[in-house]
Amino acid sequence: MPFQVLSHTADTGIEATSDTLPGLLAALATGMFEFMEPVPPGTPGEPVTVEVESASLEDLVVDLLSELLFVSESEDAMLTRFEVELPSPTNARVTATAVPIDRSGMVGAPIKAVTYHDLTIEERDGGWYGRVYFDV
Amino acid sequence: MDLKRLSDVVWEVPQAGGMRVPGRIFADDALMEVVMQDRSVEQVANVAHLPGIVAASFAMPDIHWGYGFPIGGVAATRVSDGVVSPGGVGFDICCGVRLLASAFTEADFEARRAAVMGELDRRIPRGAGKGAIAPGTIVREVLADGAVAAVRHGYGHPEDLERCEERGRSEGADPDVISEKALVRGREQLGSLGAGNHFLEVQVVDRVEDPAAAGAFGLAPGMVVVMIHCGSRGLGHQTCTDHLRLMGEAMRRHGISVPDRQLACVPIRSREGEEYLAAMAASAKFAWANRHILAHEARQAFATAFGVSEARTGMRLVFDVAHNLAKIERHEVDGSPTEVCVHRKGATRAFGPGHPDLPEDLRQWGQPVLVPGSMGTASWVLRGTDRNPAFASAAHGAGRLMSRKQASRRSPGREVRAGLESRGISVRPLSVSLLSEEAPYAYKDVDVVAEVCERAGLATRVARLRPLGVVKG
Repeated sequence: MPFQVLSHTADTGIEATSDTLPGLLAALATGMFEFMEPVPPGTPGEPVTVEVESASLEDLVVDLLSELLFVSESEDAMLTRFEVELPSPTNARVTATAVPIDRSGMVGAPIKAVTYHDLTIEERDGGWYGRVYFDV
Repeated sequence: MDLKRLSDVVWEVPQAGGMRVPGRIFADDALMEVVMQDRSVEQVANVAHLPGIVAASFAMPDIHWGYGFPIGGVAATRVSDGVVSPGGVGFDICCGVRLLASAFTEADFEARRAAVMGELDRRIPRGAGKGAIAPGTIVREVLADGAVAAVRHGYGHPEDLERCEERGRSEGADPDVISEKALVRGREQLGSLGAGNHFLEVQVVDRVEDPAAAGAFGLAPGMVVVMIHCGSRGLGHQTCTDHLRLMGEAMRRHGISVPDRQLACVPIRSREGEEYLAAMAASAKFAWANRHILAHEARQAFATAFGVSEARTGMRLVFDVAHNLAKIERHEVDGSPTEVCVHRKGATRAFGPGHPDLPEDLRQWGQPVLVPGSMGTASWVLRGTDRNPAFASAAHGAGRLMSRKQASRRSPGREVRAGLESRGISVRPLSVSLLSEEAPYAYKDVDVVAEVCERAGLATRVARLRPLGVVKG
């Protein structure tokens, strides 16, 4: 699994690692949605594209995940199969697959928002490490 | 971190480093032992760094680790030179609790249990994403007029408004500062519970500790009541997200630094501060209206299940109070009346007897303070005191003891459900597996939290409520 769920008293967090920064962003996005409802591989869905420009790399992570949550809620869908392009460290273009939500099948509390609390995005051991906490 | 004990239920986090005031935690020994196991004390200290904070960074007896502020955190900042922090309100702006009395007894409920729970299950939208009782076309009106707009559209009654904090409409709201994204989310969710720890619960008044106050609040032993816990849904979440994003940059411009980016803040009297407060107040109006609409639907459910008119259900509003809000209030600071912005993040406003903002018929008793517990234990109605040491604030719930991960590892949702049903508590969840995250064992003992509130002078106990049936997201 490219991510781990972190223990938190009231809310939740995930941490992930990847060889590349685009890979890290994809792993964090995957973790955020799989925490709520894992989508079986190959489930058909609709393609969605999101583009975000931010002031810093940390802002980019929060803005991107927040935008994906917005798309999920407004489309009533879970997102999966993320492909991330980074034209620059503060600009991301993401394509994903939107799959209709199954509310009765949710395994984790729905995530309300992405926080800046203890947010960490850094190069570590020749790759990338990220940690994000969410409000649930 | 070394804490100094000030009394049997008051602990001080000594002022150190960049802290502008000390921290103050209300807890007994057992609660304190739990507090020390997560990072909430560090968060109490972090909040004490906010510019303009006065007296102390307070934490209620249900304190636990949050993001930025601890859950149960209270901070008052001077309006003249202090800051407002969206993190001190949280993403679920104006999340709160509403309690409805009824004309029914526990025996009445037992005779119609299946019908009542079936009607509630069918009528109450819940869970993630879309699902609403009210049409999205009235959202703009709601952002301008709050619960008043809900009443105008046939949800609830004008007399309900008297029993809502701020009569269901926050001062200073500006619907025009709510983003299009927030509107998109809000249009599909007006009149919905959401998920997580939100619920609609049928309860019975199990024990009355203060008969005179209980009578004034309209409560009596054996009465069936309905408690609703929810907030401003995606509209509020998006509004907080929008403003946190703007504040990162604004904070640099105002030369403010804080130990946790989630505590991002700007001067109250700045353009960004005023815009946030206007957006927060508009989102609060959405939350007041949301609870008003859900209460209307609960009344319809009881009327249908009992085969009576809505009037015969006797489902009057006892009170509706928020526990995630920042409000401009006047309090005594260093012996002088001072205008402060009181941030309550998982803390309930608790005005004492005689406060002019309370409805006339409740004024002599102090404000009803609603403290929901876990779905298997109890909830409490407290009342405000005139000696509250924390800017008229009290606990907002039992407070989590276990992380969601720990709780769901302990037993699966179907076992939690079976356990509750065997104790006479009907459960209508949207997702059975999520029940384990909200299991009774995941929370502290709400009876202890209520008792510590009383011992610390935050609020006094009026009535204990026992759950009979729960509707969960």
